[in-house]
Amino acid sequence: MTAVWSAAWAAVLRRKLQTIVIGVVVCAASATLVMALGLLEAAAAPFDRAFAAQQGAHLAAQYDADKATGFANPAAQATAGPFRQATVDTSEGEVFLGTLTVVGRADPGGQVDRLAVSQGRWATGPGEIVLNRTPGAAGRIGLGFRVELPGRPALTVVGFAHSVTGSADAWVAPEQVEALRPDALQVLYRFAHAGTAAEMAAATAGLPRDGLLGTLSHLTVKDKATSELGVFIPFLMIFGILGLAVAVLIVANVVSGAVVAGLRHIGMLKAIGFTPNQVMGVYLVMVSIPAFAGCVLGTVAGNLFAKPIVQDAVEGFGVDDLSFAPWVNLVAALGMPLLVASAALVPALRARGLPAARAISAGTATHTGRALRIQHWLGGTGLPRSVSLGLGMPFARTGRSALTLASVVLGVMTVTLAAGVTMSMTAYNDAVRPHFTDRVELMAGPPPGAPAVRPEGVEAPAATLSDAEDEAMLRSLPGTTAVLAGTQLDAEVAGGTQKATIRFYRGDTAALGPRVLTGHWPDGPGQVVVPSRFLNQRGLAVGDTITVQALGNRTQVKIVGVVLTNNADEIFADWSTVDVLGPGTRAATYLVRMATGTDRDAYTAAVKAADPGLQVLPPRDGTSSTAVIIISAALVLTLVLGAVAALGVFNTVVLNTRERRRDLGMLKSIGMTPRQVTVLLVTSMGALGVLGGLIGVPVGIAVHQLVVPLMAQAGQADAVDILMNVYHAPLLALLALSGVVIAVLGAVVPARGAARLSIATVLHNE
Amino acid sequence: MQNADAVVELTNVRKEYSDSTALDGVSLTVRAGEAVAVMGPSGSGKSTLLNMIAGLDRPTSGEVVVHGTDLGKLSETGLALFRRRGVGMIFQFFNLLDDLSALDNVALAAQLTGTTAGQARKRALELFGELGISSRRNIYPAQLSGGERQRVAVARALMNRPALLLADEPTGALDSKSGEQVMDLLLDLNQIGQTLLLVTHDERLATRCATRLIEVADGRIARENTLERA
Repeated sequence: MTAVWSAAWAAVLRRKLQTIVIGVVVCAASATLVMALGLLEAAAAPFDRAFAAQQGAHLAAQYDADKATGFANPAAQATAGPFRQATVDTSEGEVFLGTLTVVGRADPGGQVDRLAVSQGRWATGPGEIVLNRTPGAAGRIGLGFRVELPGRPALTVVGFAHSVTGSADAWVAPEQVEALRPDALQVLYRFAHAGTAAEMAAATAGLPRDGLLGTLSHLTVKDKATSELGVFIPFLMIFGILGLAVAVLIVANVVSGAVVAGLRHIGMLKAIGFTPNQVMGVYLVMVSIPAFAGCVLGTVAGNLFAKPIVQDAVEGFGVDDLSFAPWVNLVAALGMPLLVASAALVPALRARGLPAARAISAGTATHTGRALRIQHWLGGTGLPRSVSLGLGMPFARTGRSALTLASVVLGVMTVTLAAGVTMSMTAYNDAVRPHFTDRVELMAGPPPGAPAVRPEGVEAPAATLSDAEDEAMLRSLPGTTAVLAGTQLDAEVAGGTQKATIRFYRGDTAALGPRVLTGHWPDGPGQVVVPSRFLNQRGLAVGDTITVQALGNRTQVKIVGVVLTNNADEIFADWSTVDVLGPGTRAATYLVRMATGTDRDAYTAAVKAADPGLQVLPPRDGTSSTAVIIISAALVLTLVLGAVAALGVFNTVVLNTRERRRDLGMLKSIGMTPRQVTVLLVTSMGALGVLGGLIGVPVGIAVHQLVVPLMAQAGQADAVDILMNVYHAPLLALLALSGVVIAVLGAVVPARGAARLSIATVLHNE
Repeated sequence: MQNADAVVELTNVRKEYSDSTALDGVSLTVRAGEAVAVMGPSGSGKSTLLNMIAGLDRPTSGEVVVHGTDLGKLSETGLALFRRRGVGMIFQFFNLLDDLSALDNVALAAQLTGTTAGQARKRALELFGELGISSRRNIYPAQLSGGERQRVAVARALMNRPALLLADEPTGALDSKSGEQVMDLLLDLNQIGQTLLLVTHDERLATRCATRLIEVADGRIARENTLERA
C-alpha cells in the first residue's frame, strides 16, 4: 500500500462527515444523470432498432386505384406494393377490434416492411387473416379466433405479425382482400437518405401525384411512438444538469473546506516527506473514494428509479429489455468521479502549493478588510448581536459563501422549475381533461360504428326522445345555461393506418366545446379543427385539406383551426359535416353546464324523469398518467436536489463551526446562550438563503420558459399561454422563501450541535 | 450554611471524565475582595476548578455556588445569563474575535446584555482609557501585541462590572514585559475591590497579585496559604 493511499484512506475514515457528504451528493447527482441519459437513450432506441430490423418503410403512400397511373419514385431505393387495401368495420363482432385497415400481401418479407411473424403463420389462403400485434403484448384474442365482418366473409386468425411503421392493422392473402372490397392501394418506399424532414420532403417530391390520397412518413410514426417518453427528456435533462452542477459545487466546497481545515495536516504530510504531488494525490484520492462509491450506488438507483418510467413509455414497442445501453451507465460510473476529481483539483492544487512551514503553523486563513468593515458596520446597527454577527459571517470566507450560495441558487432553481412544470402540467391537464363540478354529461346511445355490446350489469343508454326533443328538453330544464350535443365517428385519415376520431358538435360550442387556440371553429360542412399534436404528427398545417373516411363514406375536409386537446388523433367538426359522413346520425352525448347553485342530483333526476333512456355519466377523472409521472418525478427530484443543496449548507456550517470553535466557545464564555449561538449560525446561512431565493427564482423561471416549450415540442404540442404563464405573485413569494428553507434546514442541525459545544473543552484545547 | 460575604463556595466538588478524575472532593470559599491564586502542575485540575466556578462546566457531584446561585441548578441558558454579568473571564490565549475591532470585541459583552451598540462602545472607550489602550481601539486583534490583546481581554471581562474576575494563565502567552503589565493591572483591580481568582503556573504572578494561594494536586486541594503581597 503506498503512502498516498494510506494517508488518503486514513483521512476517509477519520473525516466521516466529509466522506458521507461527498458520497451522498455524488449518489444523488449520479442517479439523476442516469435517469436523464437513460431516458434519452430509451426514447429512440426501441423504435430505431425495430425499424432497422424490419427495413421499415420510410414512406407509406395511399392511392385511389381508379385514378393512379403509376407508383415509381426515382428517389426510392426499394419499393413494396402496390397492395390492395380495405377498411373493415368490426363493431358487430363478438370482440370489437375497431375499424381495421387490411392489406393484401402474399408474404411478410420483401425489401420494405419485412414483417416479423411472432405467432402462428402468414395468411396464404381464403378465410385467413394475420393481425398486427406488438411482440409480447397481451391481446383478447388468440389464434383460431373468427373475425366477423358484416356483409363480408368471416376470417380466421392464423397468425400475429408486427409492423413497426404500422403499415396495416391486419393482412390477408391478395386474393382474399378482393372479397373485403378494397378501396385504396398501398405503396411502401425506402430511400437512401431519409433521416431528416428535409430529406423526406425531397424524397416525397418524386411521388406520382395522380390518385394520391395521402402519405405517412416514418419520422411522423417515430415522433408519435416516442412522443410520450420524449416529454420527459427535456425535463429530466435539466434536472440531470442541475444535479451535476450542485454536485460539483458541493464537492468543490467540501474539498476547499478540507484544505482549509487541514492546513496543519498538509503541513505535517510535507514535514514528514510527502512531495507536493503526493499531497495533492492524497486530497484527490480522499475525495475520489467516496465519490466512486456514491457514483456506483447512484447509478444503480438511477436504473431502478427510471425503470417504471421507461416501462410505461416503451410498452408500445413490446420491448422486454428495460436496461439502459452500456454507455449510459459507463458515462455515469466513470464521468461522475472524473467530474468530482476535477472539482477537487483546484483546492488539491492549493494544498500542493502550500509551503510546509506556513501550513504547519497556520490556524485559519486571515480575514479580508471588507469583511472586517462589514462586521464593524453590522455591530453598530440595532440588530441583536447574534444576528449581526451571523450576517457578517459569510463575508469572512467569500469563496466558500459563493459556493454555498450557488448551491442554494441551484436548489431554489430546482424548486422553481419543478413548481412551474407541475403548474404547467396541471393547467394543461385541467384544460384538456376538464372535470368541472358544474357540468353534467349524458349519454343517449352508442355513436355509429361503436359496439352496442355493454359489459354485463351495465344498462345501455337508449334515449326515448328524439335528438331534437332531448336537446330542447335539456335547454328547458331550470338551471341549464348551456348545452353541447355531440357524437363521434371512428375514421381513417388517408396515409397509412392513421385512425382518428372525428367529434361532431352542435349547440353552445363556444361555452362547452374545445378551446380554439388559432383559426376559428368550423362554421360549415367540410371544415374541421384539430389539436396541434394532430398537425405535428402528420406534418400538416392550418389551411391544409385531408381525406377522411368513415362508415364507408369518404370526404375531404379543410383544417381551419387548432384546438387545445391532448389526443393527437382527434378531429373536431361542426354538426353539418356529420351529414356527409354519417347521414341521420343523432347526438350520442349531451354536455350541460348548470347555473351556479344548481343541485346536481336534483338536475339529473329531472333529466331522467324527462328521458329515462339518457344515462348520466359519472364526473370525469381528470388525471393523466403522464402528468402524474412527471409531477411525481418533479417532486422526487426536487426533494433530492433540495436535500443535496441543504447538504451543501450543512457542510458549510460544519466547516464554519470547526474553524470558529474557539470564537463560539468565547462567545458562550461571555454569556451567549445556546439559542443565540444557533441563531448566529442559522442567520449566517439564512442571509445566503434570502439572496439565493432572489437569484434562484428568476433563473428558475427562465429555465421553465426554456424547458416547457421543449417538452411541448417533444409531445408534438404547442407551448400555449396556459403552460407558460404559471407563476403568480403568491407562488413567487413562496418560491423565494424556499431559499431560506433550504438554508435553514441545512444549517439548523450543525448549528444546534455548535450551540452544545463544551466551552471548557474548546478553550482548553487552545 | 452559606458564608454571608462569600462570592464563591464549592462544597465537595467532584468532576470525572471518562478516563480520569479531574476534581476529587474539592471544597473552597472565596470571599469578596479576595485575590486567590490556584497553582499546581499540569493536569492537577486547576483549570477544571476555574471552569466550574465560571459555569463553563458542570460538576459530576457536589455544589458550586457563586453569588448565592447554585450553578448546578441552572440550565445552559441560565448559565449563559450568569456568565454575562456574574463573572468576567481572561484566557491565556485572549480569545478575541479576529473579525471585530478591539473596541467591538469589548462592546460585544455589553451588547449581549441588551445594551445598545452606542452605549456599549461608550463604556468600552472608558475602559480603554482606564487600561491605557485608547489609541488601539480600532485596531483588529491580529495587529495587536500580546500585551495589548490581553488588556483588551481584561477590558472585555470588566465590561459588565462582574463581581468576580477569573483569569486562566493570564500571562502564560505573554513576554515578560507584557506579563508585568498585566500583573500590575490585576493587582490594581484587586486593590480597588475586585474579587479575583486566577489559575497560573507563574509563582511570581501568584505572589505579586494574590492574597491567598491554593495548591492543587491530583484533583484535591493539597495546601492553602495566606500571602503577603510582594
